[in-house]
Amino acid sequence: MKIKLIVWRQNSPTDKGRFETYNCDEVSPDMSFLEMLDILNEKLILQGQEPIAFDHDCREGICGACSCTINGVPHGPEKATTTCQLHMRKFKDGDSIYVEPFRAKAFPVIRDLIVDRGAYDRIIAAGGFVSVNTGGAQDANALPISKHYADLAMDAAACIGCGACAAACPNGAAMLFTAAKISQLAFLPQGQPERKKRAIAMIKQMEEEGFGACTNYYECEAACPKEISVRFIAKMNREYMMARMFSE
Amino acid sequence: MVLFNYLKSTILSKVVMAVTGVLLVLFLFGHMLGNLQVFIGSEAYNSYSQFLQSLGEILWLIRIVLFIALVLHIITSIRLKLLNRCANPTRYEVKNYVKATLTARTMIWTGIMIFCFLAFHLAQFTLRITDDESKNMKDMNDKNYSMFLKDPRGSVEINKDKYFYAEGIKIMKERHDTYKMVVKGFRNPLISLLYVVAMVILVFHLNHAIQSAFQTLGLNHPNYWPCIQRSSFWVSLLIGIGFCLVPLSIMLGFVGAGV
Amino acid sequence: MNLDAKVPSGALKDKWDNHRFEMKLINPANKRKYKIIVVGTGLAGASAAASFAELGYNVEAFTYNDSPRRAHSIAAQGGINAAKNYQNDGDSIWRLFYDTVKGGDFRSREANVHRLAQVSANIIDQCVAQGVPFAREYGGLLDNRSFGGAQVSRTFYARGQTGQQLLLGAYSALMRQVGLNAVKMHVRKEMMDIVVIDGRCRGIVTRDLVTGKIESHVADAVCLATGGYANVFYLSTNAQACNVTSTYRAYKKGAAFANPCFTQIHPTCIPVSGDHQSKLTLMSESLRNDGRIWVPKNQGDKRKPADIPEEERDYYLERKYPSFGNLSPRDISSRSAKQVCDEGRGISATGYGVYLDFAESIGRLGKHVIEERYGNLFEMYERITDENPYETPMMIYPAAHYTMGGLWVDYNLMSTVPGLHVLGEANFSDHGANRLGASALMQGLADGYFVIPYTIGNYLAQNKTDKIGTDHEEFKKAEAESTDKITKLMNIKGKKTPNAFHRELGKVMWDNVGMGRNEAGLKKALVEIPKIREEFWNNLTVTGTNENLNTVLEKANRVADFLEFAEVLAHDALERDESCGAHFREEHQFPDGEAMRNDEKFAHVAAWEYTGVGNKPIRNTEPLVYENIHLAVRSYK
Repeated sequence: MKIKLIVWRQNSPTDKGRFETYNCDEVSPDMSFLEMLDILNEKLILQGQEPIAFDHDCREGICGACSCTINGVPHGPEKATTTCQLHMRKFKDGDSIYVEPFRAKAFPVIRDLIVDRGAYDRIIAAGGFVSVNTGGAQDANALPISKHYADLAMDAAACIGCGACAAACPNGAAMLFTAAKISQLAFLPQGQPERKKRAIAMIKQMEEEGFGACTNYYECEAACPKEISVRFIAKMNREYMMARMFSE
Repeated sequence: MVLFNYLKSTILSKVVMAVTGVLLVLFLFGHMLGNLQVFIGSEAYNSYSQFLQSLGEILWLIRIVLFIALVLHIITSIRLKLLNRCANPTRYEVKNYVKATLTARTMIWTGIMIFCFLAFHLAQFTLRITDDESKNMKDMNDKNYSMFLKDPRGSVEINKDKYFYAEGIKIMKERHDTYKMVVKGFRNPLISLLYVVAMVILVFHLNHAIQSAFQTLGLNHPNYWPCIQRSSFWVSLLIGIGFCLVPLSIMLGFVGAGV
Repeated sequence: MNLDAKVPSGALKDKWDNHRFEMKLINPANKRKYKIIVVGTGLAGASAAASFAELGYNVEAFTYNDSPRRAHSIAAQGGINAAKNYQNDGDSIWRLFYDTVKGGDFRSREANVHRLAQVSANIIDQCVAQGVPFAREYGGLLDNRSFGGAQVSRTFYARGQTGQQLLLGAYSALMRQVGLNAVKMHVRKEMMDIVVIDGRCRGIVTRDLVTGKIESHVADAVCLATGGYANVFYLSTNAQACNVTSTYRAYKKGAAFANPCFTQIHPTCIPVSGDHQSKLTLMSESLRNDGRIWVPKNQGDKRKPADIPEEERDYYLERKYPSFGNLSPRDISSRSAKQVCDEGRGISATGYGVYLDFAESIGRLGKHVIEERYGNLFEMYERITDENPYETPMMIYPAAHYTMGGLWVDYNLMSTVPGLHVLGEANFSDHGANRLGASALMQGLADGYFVIPYTIGNYLAQNKTDKIGTDHEEFKKAEAESTDKITKLMNIKGKKTPNAFHRELGKVMWDNVGMGRNEAGLKKALVEIPKIREEFWNNLTVTGTNENLNTVLEKANRVADFLEFAEVLAHDALERDESCGAHFREEHQFPDGEAMRNDEKFAHVAAWEYTGVGNKPIRNTEPLVYENIHLAVRSYK
């Protein structure tokens, strides 16, 4: 396959950045998208040019490190798939592909396709936990949890924190990410003591990071490689309203 | 102002959008049902109009509530739009939408257009300043007001309403001829066209708005969410068609032929 | 080198309790005066850092990733073992202990493994309390499954994402402490060196991956939780950035490297599809319950699998091991696959793959049963290979997966450098020569939550340190060394990329120090590795600058250490002249292909001591004494 890549290049956070075009001539349909970039990068290095910097690590779709927007969709066109698991057979010979970093004000570009997603960590640090110290826990089976709620919590907990939700959102909103964690812990009895405090603190942090508001486009759900449902955003709204109304 | 503190919170802002939106949709629905009385005839229509007028303070209360809802709806939407622009300053060179519908993406624009239309609509039919004639269209109702009248040959003014002696022993009250005003108004094809176009835009706006309000208010459950999404479409379409029926029927001569 | 394991006295089951009582404590008000550095924020690192901070220590944590949540612990699928006996099927601490020692082919330290089994139950309690959504039964209690051929159901799981959920649990505990300013989190910073002052580890030197800045960090104790080195094979199931740099550089500063040759190969991974391959994806081993493994009988048979008639197929595992068949243990299954492929009967474009065929079970059980059991795995397979495993057999091949070897630690998880502690996959202690399924998560969390928080207090209480700053000459020296190393890498200006060297090294390692090892191959590797290393230092190219985020430089820095470390691994494999667990020396096998241990000569830990690049390191040994269990031949017949 022959593929034309139009890639965002930006040397540093302060650099203005520009698109550059690369022609990849020997692309195998069995390659993953990142393996194609690997090969392009090897070529660039041998030509003395700096390779395209992109975030990646586990390459099996679970660590959430990979992060490009491919032809205007975070993680590319395939449903429920991270960039590292996207294969070139999903494209056609001769295709032109735009590769851009995840765009949102709260995700500043560090270099090329690498952005700083520290905002997500700070949202978790604001309240995405159960405050239990190591060692004090009771027996795990002392707290029965209905399978239904355990499963729902797991649905929400499947989030890999990749940032595609905010990158897909025309408002640069991190609602789906925040909602997934708030919902997970709200479904479980362990999360109850801090339920209201958590909702208020995490959402406050989310807003301070400069993420936008939800206008129910549901682009986040469409881009989410783990198919986390927007109904968790509805749940978060509920949690937040209750917390604001009834918190001390 | 403390009242506007909610604007600091993205979620509360959205809640305000949803609640005010729901109020406005309920009003639209009632307004549409009222409008449809034009098909029963001028008497029913004018009586309905008169009934609304007679509500007095209650009418003003409704007007104030709707006005506040509208103002909050607009202020909040502008504030959210600015915030969202700011949260996503760099646009993608290429952007492909997967789930975001056209209606969802054009809410601010359809909203602005509806607002402009609303201004015209109020000027035309509520303030009646677009057409001098419409102010002076009078009609008589057929209820017996004899208790007010001492002299059967004259007229009397009570609470700014004028009462006449007419048709033998019947005493009638003068009222505004809303029916005539509407029919005359919609006889103008440009006005009718404007209304129909505005209603199409309204349907666009409501199609996303109704289900969006449910989502924002936290009412999303897999058991009934598909139903909400379908209803959102059908209700907005129903409102749109309901409103359009009036100008279309007048234009086609089904209604108001005698005016 | 003194390899005193400091195993407490007393009966095995009382050792940890006695030790906990005997350890010195630090006054709660004084804990904040001690600084602990944790390098690596996977399961072991994040849990340790969070637990230290909860106790009141002053903690700094480091990761080269952009967030602690990216650590490769996240990719563990199967589950986590714990001796809870919730299923009433005869499990106990003793049984988990025994299974782990036996599974490790009697090359692990009894006392450590027993402690691991003891605290395993607390791990589940702790994780549930954190809100980890483990699978549950309808009654609301935790569900268990049997995993990796265990006779009892002791594995807790969260769908196929157990590692992710446990890591996110530890990560949330860590982030809570970050939010409370009890942990200072450093992301995108890679450890370059440890600093030893007056015989004790007093800090680390890091490189900021965004700015290239070399920085020093002083502490009273350092914990390395930097994972394994399976990427020495280039292709493995490890994440791209996994490396040996921090443990190897600690080794160069005096920490002994124990049993590096114990590397686990996982039999069911998706085979290489071409030269572009960057990593191998693991498919759950459970697939072997219903799949039949075969290759064509004839060499170079390129027909489609459906076109190969039954009588021309070789179900080699069923043929060679009639009683266990397709469920033969990981190492046997892996080696047999390599064997048939070496005979030229392998399938797939590269010739390195075997079929895992579900046609028979689909016929017997129906498609819906198979779909229910393996639906998500089949989907994942199809996404990667574009083949529908319901219709055509899957292709699998073994891949490097986990490394049991690591820095030598005593019972307190301290290396041979006082003050330098090593946790999780980075140390060597608990899995012996082979790790059981669902035990990696258990060990990482046991070390981080329940062992090191106690033992580090004991170390700190007994070792008063003077106050020093980063201007200390040893720090300046280490900084200068790191800067020199970077400058050297930048200035070679040759013609080959770091990745090319890594690939070359990986091939040598996989071919000679991989699944089947023999003297000739290992000696060949010991000749080849230095050659590649020499070329590396003469012909490497690194683009860009040091003052900017430079992925080529990062990679070169890591490959440089792999190129030195690989030699230690090969030496260890050569010297360990026996087969045990995952270390298979072709010279030592039973006629049926089982590993033949030599307990008389090799019932010990080999801990290697650095003597300079290219020099053969010194092999120290720690004898393994089994007081409580009897050494038996591991048999899965």
